[in-house]
Amino acid sequence: MAREMMLSGCAAAAQAAKMAQVEVICSYPIRPYSAIMMELAKMVANGELDAEFVHGEGEHAQLSVVLGAAAAGARALTGSSGVGVTYAFETYSPIAGGRIPLQMMIADRALDPPGDFGSEHTDAMSCRDQGWLMGWAETPQEVFDNCLINYRVGEDHRVLLPQFVCQDGYFVSHIQGKVVLPDQSQVDEFLPPYALPHPLDPKRPVSHGPQIRPDQGTVMDLQRAQAMLDTPAVIKEAIDDYNRIFGRKISPFLEEYMTEDAEIAFFIMGAHTMTARHAVKHLRDQGVKIGLVKLRFVRPWPTQEVAEALSKFKAVGVVETSTSYGGAMRGGNLLHEVRASLYEVPQRPLTTSFMAGLGGEMVPLKDFYYMADILSKAVKDGKTKKTVYWVGFEAED
Amino acid sequence: MFIIPKEKEVPLGCVTPAPVTEQPMMITGNWREYRPVLEPEKCDLCMNCIVFCPDACFQLDEAGEMVVLNEKYCKGCNICINECATDALSKAYELDFEDGVVRLEKPF
Amino acid sequence: MTVAVRTQNLPPIKLIRNVPKEEYYVPGHRTCAGCGPALQYKLVAKAAGPNTIFLGPTGCMYVANASYLCTPYTVPWMHTQITNGGAVASGIEAAYKVLLRKGKRTGELPNIIVMAGDGGTVDIGLQAMSAMMYRAHDALFICYDNEAYTNTGIQTSPTTPYGANTTFTPPGSAIPEGKTLFPKDPPQLVIGGHPAVKYVATASVAYPVDLINKVRKALNVQGPTFLHIHAPCPKGWKFDEAKTVEIARLAIETGMWNMYEWENGEYRYQFKPKKYKPVREYMKLQGRFAHLSEAHIAKQQAFVDAKLKAHGIPVEVPVPPPRAQQ
Repeated sequence: MAREMMLSGCAAAAQAAKMAQVEVICSYPIRPYSAIMMELAKMVANGELDAEFVHGEGEHAQLSVVLGAAAAGARALTGSSGVGVTYAFETYSPIAGGRIPLQMMIADRALDPPGDFGSEHTDAMSCRDQGWLMGWAETPQEVFDNCLINYRVGEDHRVLLPQFVCQDGYFVSHIQGKVVLPDQSQVDEFLPPYALPHPLDPKRPVSHGPQIRPDQGTVMDLQRAQAMLDTPAVIKEAIDDYNRIFGRKISPFLEEYMTEDAEIAFFIMGAHTMTARHAVKHLRDQGVKIGLVKLRFVRPWPTQEVAEALSKFKAVGVVETSTSYGGAMRGGNLLHEVRASLYEVPQRPLTTSFMAGLGGEMVPLKDFYYMADILSKAVKDGKTKKTVYWVGFEAED
Repeated sequence: MFIIPKEKEVPLGCVTPAPVTEQPMMITGNWREYRPVLEPEKCDLCMNCIVFCPDACFQLDEAGEMVVLNEKYCKGCNICINECATDALSKAYELDFEDGVVRLEKPF
Repeated sequence: MTVAVRTQNLPPIKLIRNVPKEEYYVPGHRTCAGCGPALQYKLVAKAAGPNTIFLGPTGCMYVANASYLCTPYTVPWMHTQITNGGAVASGIEAAYKVLLRKGKRTGELPNIIVMAGDGGTVDIGLQAMSAMMYRAHDALFICYDNEAYTNTGIQTSPTTPYGANTTFTPPGSAIPEGKTLFPKDPPQLVIGGHPAVKYVATASVAYPVDLINKVRKALNVQGPTFLHIHAPCPKGWKFDEAKTVEIARLAIETGMWNMYEWENGEYRYQFKPKKYKPVREYMKLQGRFAHLSEAHIAKQQAFVDAKLKAHGIPVEVPVPPPRAQQ
């Protein structure tokens, strides 16, 4: 029987893990993702979830433990935030390249220095090129959805990749939202049991990861490159199934809001999308032709879909909550990939980056009005004044 | 689609089959300078050569009566000669043998 | 929640002729001729048998065994980072516990053995090793100690003896002995503070029957166990490769290597010489000690003497003075 609950993003993630019947969990405490592990610990302790709950000695260990568990044939889960995510970095390539699906819940946190508990996407974004699936949730419901969808896609034998399931720390991880929890039978229909092609099993011995020659290196890399080419089709299939089984209307890569005749648009992902929606609605009420495009998956990046969606507009503001110091746009990461997606489009919109919410700062409505204003002016002028605006910190305007 | 030259192929995730009785992709018999030679009448089957060979190159024959050298893999470290309890093993220059092997080209 | 029950009972052997004949570490690996670690690997694999999963943290027993695209392990094996052998083994053990409990796998819990070098045990791998011991995973952690980071071309590690010449501790006019620090004691690190560990032992390639029996004992024990195996390295220590076993024997005869078991708080010693040979006998056969003066050898002897006086108890180690004062 499906039931509705008010859950935080962390609690929603724990519920999804439980319904996915995760078998090995490895914990290590760091704010704010720890709440997921605290929920799971309770479930394991009172017999609600039959899993091994391993206390990792650090984030690098967490990933190593779940790597072993998954390689042995168990569905495995771990998670982290901030510098914990980057501490484990050594393990990301071996896991993805070894084609061992497992899931890491990231509740974002700004990277040191110094300590800052607020949310910033940089922690996960800095790991995006290792061959993992990666995407953000806007609400606790989406966290729940993304957990299940990522298990299904990552474990598909056409993909076999690990997954970063990301949510903004505090804004999503700790604020409650409505989550519809489905029936276990529905989840079982959507998500088949974990089945690795070559698990570590004395009955069928294999060698995982012998040394290769340098001239075989490209071939190893091509395996992941090919997987990323094959993944979008699997994502579409999975989400079609998800919609059918759970009665939903999720669109796989991008969600468009009020874009029908929009001239300007926000391109955004994560928690602040919620505020952006309200800003778009209010601006529409005032006659501004504005819309919003929300990104679900950063990896694989939906190049074609982004090009098609954004080419409708005259100006796009890419709202960034991560940094890429010294990068081409001297701002965040998303604008690089947006511009790359739009490069072949004959009628390209103007694009600019809006650095907002870094460090876990709130992004209130007035910030979105400020951004919209800049976009409108850009359309009038036929060009953007700057390629990156650090919202709230610009000298002029 | 990609074209992978056969000699550069790597299995998915770099997961390779486990060997069964030997690993023929790493023949090491052509490393040795000296080959251990057995004088069977001196051998009392102490098993030292079998146990102490890092490459498992000495084994008992089918009948269990004699130790036999695996010349395909013996690296010529001579631990067996050093550890033989009855001096039944001695070393002889590899290329003195008719079937003496030597590595002429680089293995990779 | 019940834990998977180990029903395995690997029997001890009496004599060298009882060494099991089946090979699980087969010919065809790129280790050096006379490689001590390869020899101990062969013996460990024999002792453990087919119901085994090996973890290979990066090191000689990874790179040399697994070049290229092939390995000599007939049982399942996985490469791990040098940092995380203990952690990956923990994950495999946890997975098997839950898979056996749920009936997704049948039979006994496999032997899960980490085969780590000294660096992968007490240096970069220390955290993961200690956590595996602490968390009571039913797995065996083996440190094959060849007393240096040998795979990368012989660099000092925390188990490299005082006075050894390595590429990071070369002797020179400013630092005549090469290595100035005294080594960590891996079994003592484990014994000292891991309540879940019931069995720790040292072993050597010099005594294969003893080695096999200790491996089997460790595997039979339910819970985490630790073995410290001396595995001389002809290339790193610079000695004639035919002498690997001889050198291992001499290490024990001079006290540079001590053979013991620690089980539930009690020590048992093996192969304790009635009279120890001077360490010089051991050191003179190895090029890594060739540069040492009498004063240095005396320091080594003093360290070994103190260690022998109280087996296994941390010894008073001279702290190297600042260079200007020497």
